[in-house]
Amino acid sequence: MTMNLRQFKENLLVYGADVHTWPQDIRRTGLKALENSAELRALLADEERFELVLKTRKYEEPSSDLAERIISASQPRTKKVRRSLGGFFSELPWEFSLSKRAVTAVCVSLVLVLIIGFAIGFSNPMGSVSTEQYQTNLQELLYYEGEVL
Amino acid sequence: MDAGFSHLDDESLIRQIQKGSHEAFSALVNRHSNRFYGIAYRLLFNKGDAEDVVQEAFLKLWDRPQLWNSSKQAKFTTWFYKVVINLCLDLNKKRKPLELPEEMELVDNNPGQDLLLDTHQKQALVDSLIQELPERQQLALNLCFYEGSSNEQAAEIIGVRVKAVQSLIMRAKTTLKDKVKRYLGGGSI
Repeated sequence: MTMNLRQFKENLLVYGADVHTWPQDIRRTGLKALENSAELRALLADEERFELVLKTRKYEEPSSDLAERIISASQPRTKKVRRSLGGFFSELPWEFSLSKRAVTAVCVSLVLVLIIGFAIGFSNPMGSVSTEQYQTNLQELLYYEGEVL
Repeated sequence: MDAGFSHLDDESLIRQIQKGSHEAFSALVNRHSNRFYGIAYRLLFNKGDAEDVVQEAFLKLWDRPQLWNSSKQAKFTTWFYKVVINLCLDLNKKRKPLELPEEMELVDNNPGQDLLLDTHQKQALVDSLIQELPERQQLALNLCFYEGSSNEQAAEIIGVRVKAVQSLIMRAKTTLKDKVKRYLGGGSI
């Protein structure tokens, strides 16, 4: 069995410039053809140079902890950090190490303050003293001060 | 940690993972993460992206180990190559291709000129020329030339016949050889 130029060229492209690694059934024929032809040797030298260029291609090794990172990422996660507003408030007692009673007392006080605040606000819906009332008060003050003076 | 599993073959490890064994999963990751990083890096041209893709592929396997079907898939590595490659191709579709540095594009106007490019420029040139190849030619070249896979394994991974893989490699190399000669000059290669 022999190998012509075209066949040799194709095998070079498919199996590479190292003829010794070609599949067994074509290796011996390839090596024999190479021995007998200067043209094939030139082709081989050309392919070797080309492969050297291809091998200049950049390659960065993976991080040494890649496997470790994947393994730890696959482990069941512990409690996730809550980022919602509700979560923030529900975690406040644990942040300040408050007891249940203390938290309840703080909440009740807050509610009472709110109720009282609203009651005062509603009893004076305008939120300011009327001009009439202001003038009366001023007159009373002047009258009072005059009496002292 | 996974010493008890290191003697098991890949397929046995997968069966253990399907039963929920995290130790088996660790053994598989330790055995293969660098290997699959290799093909991911070759396809993505970026270390961080390649590591992310390998992690994503392994986490998918951990979350849904039933995806590997022993009756359909002969070899774990062949199947997992497909998983990693698909993730890489998806990512590549979302990205812009690499561009040749300006000074190299100008060189194309003087074909045959023997250029003295430094290593960095040669690397960039080879990367960009490979990226210009059609997807399947890139895959065949990366698997067979850079990763050392056999033509048969590459054919199974890409999903074509062995003859087709050989044709893809031939076309990829011929195109690259022509372009490299054009950029670097005949005497340089």
